[in-house]
Parts: sequence; C-alpha cells; structure tokens
Amino acid sequence: MRERKSLPLPVAALVAALLLLGVGFDAEAQKKGGILRVGNLGEPPALDAHWTTASITETLTNHIYEGLFTLDDGNRPIPMLAESMPTVSPDGLTYTIKLRQGIKFHNGKEMSSDDVVASLNRWSKQSVYGKDLFTQVTELRAVDKSTVELKLKEKSAIVLINLAVPNNFGAIYPKEIAEKFPPQEKVTEWIGTGPFKLAEWKPDQHIRMVRFDDYKPRSEKPNGYGGAKIAYVDEVRWIPVPDVATRVAQIETGELDFADDLNPDAYDRLQRSPNARPVIAKLYYWLVAVLNKKEGLMTNQKLRQAWQAAIDIEPIMKVVAGGKREFYRMDNSLIPAEITAWHTKIAGLPWNEHNKDKAKKLLQEAGYKGEPIRFMTTQEYKWMYDFALVSKQQLEDIGMNIDLQVVDWATLVKRRNNSKEYDAFTTGIGPAYDPTNLVVLSCAWPGWNCDEETQRLKSEMSKETDYKKRVALWEQQTKLFFEKAPVIRYGDLFGMRAASKKLKGLNEKTERPRFYNVWLE
Amino acid sequence: MTSYLVRRLFALLPVMAVVVTIVFFIIHLIPGDPVSVMLGPDATIAQIDETRRALGLDRPIHEQLAKFYARILRGDLGRSYFLDRPVTTALWERAEPTIVLTLFALFVAVAIGVPSGIVAAAYPGSMWDRILMLGALLGVCIPGFWLSLNFIYLFAVRLGWLPAAGYASFFTDPVAAFRYMVLPAVSLGFNQSALIARISRSCMLEVLQQDYIRTARAKGLSQRTVVYVHAFRNALVPVVAVIGITMAILIGGAVVTEIVFNIPGLGRLIISAILRRDYPVVQGVVLVTAATYVLINLLVDMVYAFIDPRIRYD
Repeated sequence: MRERKSLPLPVAALVAALLLLGVGFDAEAQKKGGILRVGNLGEPPALDAHWTTASITETLTNHIYEGLFTLDDGNRPIPMLAESMPTVSPDGLTYTIKLRQGIKFHNGKEMSSDDVVASLNRWSKQSVYGKDLFTQVTELRAVDKSTVELKLKEKSAIVLINLAVPNNFGAIYPKEIAEKFPPQEKVTEWIGTGPFKLAEWKPDQHIRMVRFDDYKPRSEKPNGYGGAKIAYVDEVRWIPVPDVATRVAQIETGELDFADDLNPDAYDRLQRSPNARPVIAKLYYWLVAVLNKKEGLMTNQKLRQAWQAAIDIEPIMKVVAGGKREFYRMDNSLIPAEITAWHTKIAGLPWNEHNKDKAKKLLQEAGYKGEPIRFMTTQEYKWMYDFALVSKQQLEDIGMNIDLQVVDWATLVKRRNNSKEYDAFTTGIGPAYDPTNLVVLSCAWPGWNCDEETQRLKSEMSKETDYKKRVALWEQQTKLFFEKAPVIRYGDLFGMRAASKKLKGLNEKTERPRFYNVWLE
Repeated sequence: MTSYLVRRLFALLPVMAVVVTIVFFIIHLIPGDPVSVMLGPDATIAQIDETRRALGLDRPIHEQLAKFYARILRGDLGRSYFLDRPVTTALWERAEPTIVLTLFALFVAVAIGVPSGIVAAAYPGSMWDRILMLGALLGVCIPGFWLSLNFIYLFAVRLGWLPAAGYASFFTDPVAAFRYMVLPAVSLGFNQSALIARISRSCMLEVLQQDYIRTARAKGLSQRTVVYVHAFRNALVPVVAVIGITMAILIGGAVVTEIVFNIPGLGRLIISAILRRDYPVVQGVVLVTAATYVLINLLVDMVYAFIDPRIRYD
C-alpha cells in the first residue's frame, strides 16, 4: 500500500526554497510519498562502491553514497560533495578541493576532510579508477576540516573524471568505516551521505532504501547524476526478479513501478500496456569480440584485421536487437554519441567493410591454415550468444574455422583471464566517460592490449590537460585502434527498461537509472 | 521400531559424507570463479587475483577440502561469498517460502492426483478415465515454466485476479501470502499431480481385482463403499511413497517455479549460487536437501507401518 503523507516542514521549506530559486524541474507538480518498487535482475555482490565494478552495485550504491564529483547531463564532471570545482596550482600538480559544509552521514555524523581522505585512500587500493588515478598521486591530505589537497607526481587529465565516474566510484564513507574494512574486504556497514539510506537488505527478497531526512541537496538544478537530489518517494524498494518475463508481467500489472534489464522483444507489448511504457537506454553497450593478444592465433595482427574486414555488422545488430531498429545504432566511435566530448566521426576507418576479398587476402598474408579459433560466448546474455553465432557464420564464409564455445558467464569471466584458454570472447563495452578509462585499451584487462603505441598514447592522454590536444590524441588513438584491431568493434546496442505511467520525473538519459527527483502520481 | 530408527539415522552419516565430498569436488572442478563474477566485468586480472587470495581460493583443493570438513564437523556450513552472511542464516531465511510452497503444491497435487486416480480406476476404460489420464499426461508433458508464464499472463496480466509474482510471509500478512501462493502452488501442484494420479490409478486397479473386493461386492456393498472403505486404504502404501518422493523433490527446490514466481526459496538460492559459484552456499543447500530427502524417506517408511499393520520393522 502506498502511503500519502503531507510534507514534513523542513522538506516543504526546502522544496519551496528550491522552487523560489528557480529549481523547478518541469511543469508537473512533484508529489511526495509512496514506495517505488524497482525490479532488477538479481542481488548485488556488495553494497560497497569501492569494491566491485558490477553495474547493479553501481545503480544501488549511487542512491546511498556520493562522491566528491559526479557527471552532468553532458557526462562532464561537476561537484557533488565538493563545494565547487577544485583550485589547481599553476604547475597543475596540486588540487585543492573545498568540501560542502553541514553534510551529514546517515548515522548523524558530519562529513569532514578526514572522512574524505580515509575513503579515497581505501578507494585508491581497490577501485579500477582509484588505482589508475593514484598511480599519479603523491599525497592526499586534509588541510582543514573542510578542505582536502591532492598532490600529483605529474600533470594529470584524469583527476576530475576518475573522481566523478559513477561505477566503482570514490564514494565517501565515514572514516571509521573506511578504516575498519580493508580494501579487499567488502564493507558491510552501509553509511553514506546520499538522499536515501539503507533500511533493510533481505537477499532475494528486497533492499529497502528510505528517504534520508537530513539530506541537504545542492542548490543547482538537477543535472545528469548531480545537482539537487530530492527524495520524493518515501522508499525505494529494490526487488530482485531473476526472470525477465516475470519483470515484464509485473510492470504490466502494476506490481513494479520500474523494471530494469528487459529484452527488446517485450517492446511492442509494453507500448500497448495501459500501465507501463518502454524506456530505451541509449548509453548501454557496444558489442565486442575481444581477441587474445598475449598468446595464440590472435596475436597475429593480420588475422585480427581479417576478422574486422569480414564482418557485416548491420545484419548482426538486427539479429541481436530482435529485428528492431530502435535498439541498435551503426556507429564506430569508441565512445558513444551521448558522451559528446569524446565521440568521434572519422571517415575512412576500416569498420563494417564486409569485404570478403580483403578478408581472404589478409588470411593468406597471416599464413592461416584453418586452425580452430576458440571463440567463447554465453547464453546467459542472449545478445552475446546471438552476435557470436552470426559472426561465426560470416567468418566461416571467408574460411576461418570458428570453434564456438558456449559456457556459462562464471566460466567465461574466469577463463578470459587465462591466455591459454581462448582466442576470442564476447562481451559488451559500457560507456567510458574518458578515453583513458576504456578497458579495451588496457594491458591489465583480458585480451591484454599491451601494444606500445597504444599505451604511449594512453599515457600521454592521461597527462595532457589541454582539451584540444587531448581530442587530437584521441583521434590518433582511434585510428590506431582500427589499424591494430585489438578487439572487433560491432555496433551500439541499446538497453530496454520499463516505467510505470505513474512514475514521473525520470531522467532517461543517464546510463543507469536514479530514483531521486522522481515521484509517483 | 526404535532400534530400526536409530540404525537408519546412523546410516545417514556415511550418506551425508559421500554427498558433501562429491558436491565439493563437482562445484570446485567445474570451471568458473566467484571472484570474477563478484568484481564485475571491468575488474583487472590483478584485482581478481588479490581478492581470490583474500578469500583463500588460491589454496590447493585438498587444503580447501580439509578446511571444509573441519567446519562441517563443527556444525559450521561456512559463509556465503556473495550474500555476506553465514550459509545457515541464508538457508534459514529461505526455509519458510520453500516449506510453504511445498505444502501448498503438495496439497494441490494430492487433491488433484488421488481423486483422479481413484475415479479413473473405479471406472476403467470410461470417458472419465480417459479424460483424467489425459490430464495426468498433460501434467507430465507441459513444461513447468510454460504453464507458470501462461498462468501469470492469464490470471495476473489479463484478468488481474492474482499478483504475478512475489512472496509474503503467512506470519505477517496471511491474505497476501495466500494470494501470492495460489498460482505457483497450482502450476507446480498440477505438474506433480500427474505421477500421483497414475500411481493411484494403477494401485487402485490392482486392489480392486483382489478377492476380498469381489467378496465385498458380493455382499451387496455399494460401489462407493467398496472403493473408499475397502480398496482405498490398501492402495495407499505406494501412493504415500510417491507423495513422500514428491515432497522431497519440492523441498529440494522447485527451481523453475521459484524463479518464475520470484519466491525467495531454496531452489532459487541454489541456482543463483551455482551461477555465481558461491561454493559454501551450494554445499550447504545440497547438504540440507540430501538430509531432508533421506529423512523424508525414513518418515515415509514409518508411515507405511501405520497404514498397513502387516508392516513391522522390528
């Protein structure tokens, strides 16, 4: 039963103040109250934002915790717990970050620079982004109660973006918690500064997050993941519903107000639903066959180029998207169009050539003699299996011998770490908010892109702070990517979600959903 | 009877030892890794290795097995990697939904299966016999997930009579609990009723051909009295065995039903634990399921003696 209550005085005053300041979100009147029921596909492995890159953890923890910075509508860094953008010393080596004052944790303690230092130190030892940033950091210290200072070895272009990315992010925990749990151990006391606080976690039943009444929103308008965050609903109840057909049925019956991770084949049915509507998530994945460049057949660049030349991407994307044009995009930029700062449009790249003659010639030059190419995929993600299956057909047309190995996801993610066990595997690459964060350019990630030139450009980009020069380096990197073909880039796949028609105020542009600033009618 | 019971309970120990050892090896030898799943798709190989070390998963398998035995002997099933709680707690939390679903589904299965079998046997070759046995055939043939999804579509989405999925505890909200339980119990019970109906029919047919039944009919007793009073109890022993097996299967996890109807029970727990290679949970669920299975079998053997006074265990 949804509760309807009148606004408590502090919240009413705050909403009124925000409206007076012009922080009106849209023409509709927001309503407070109710329980928002969100159906997602399973349990998070942890509610520790530092600990895992799992997307479900990202979605959930961003309601409980906040970082110093976050991303705006254009996916650029903006301050969150930081009062404003940092002051950078003229040599670019010292970042001074002023913190917002009077921010309370869910346990009532006021946030201070000590909490920030302890949290970021922990984050730097476990998170992909924290580790990456802290290779450039010499010191992080509290200057006073509400100021922290970050000193660098060399100029860096990734300080703000790495502190702003929502995945595996630099969430600020109370110092006592950040120091109590070693980085390799999951935090099991979940205290943050976010607009919702954790009320109950019953695995396989629900995670209940309730409004944090002492939350102090920023004064700016809602903007991407940041700006003012108002918890209109009394509670967000995350319900794991592992079966996708059940999630669709429950959003249709009104048992859920939002359903995540749906299949495009439910699109037409949801469009006809009187209670719900489909939501297309454009920031989703680009499909990729990751090639093993450490060992085996795919260390041969010509063979990788043959794969790249052979494939006809549009028919593959059509199959993967269930024949629906709304769910895929033919684009070759390594960062999707929604991240405008890094989206590239470079003519003449060898992408989607479907040139069989060229591919066969490259096979010959590679000295390929029909050896089996072990291509791992999984049926746990239907889109991965579909694109692997159609790719196999197309590659066999040019004479490649594809040994498609269908395994479960847990096996795939284990085997992909061992260079002896495969030649290629399927996965999806989520949006990188900065080119330096793209995993397919990493030497430490499966597939091992340790190409010297690629790493040199990546390193230069992480140090270059001038945007125009960075763009030039990024274009160089993109051209090099299609020349070396470390992985095979297919098209952009969009995700599908569904929202109740009673759910208002949802920002549909963000990569993952957020349930502050939304209300139920 | 008592010494028989004690003997059977002692026999449980080697069975359990074999079960836990086999399960330990199967789950550890199949490929896959809990840490790679937990740390997410963008984790680096170095990060995965560090966390594996922290969890002791880098240790040789014999060392892990020794630790596992030591824990079991202390009555400790270990701690779930994924759920951050002891396995016993995870099992305890899921016991109620599974038990409730089992009892409801068993009720439906018996309520459909036993009368169908009796009526079909009482009028063999009749139209009723054919219709009821066709129903039983359908119960065996129709996949559980298909039936479940169609029930959801019809009764929840189209008609809106019942909720599509979910679970509420009978201790907190009995009305909601009942509404949530109707569709899963009927779809699961219908599937399970098929075997009970077939066994009931064949046992009843066998009993109805006995001399004492002919005698009863010769005495001029009505068909109803002959079937329900004289034949039914004697046909019950194999039926009880099948009901016992059905119950054991349901306790072990009505996996598909629990997933489709989103019931947080043991079946769903073991499937997710296998998919994410949560070794302690898989071992714990299998151990408890195996023990339950053996105990239910023992219980069924005990019940035989009450139904049929000729059966004695001493």
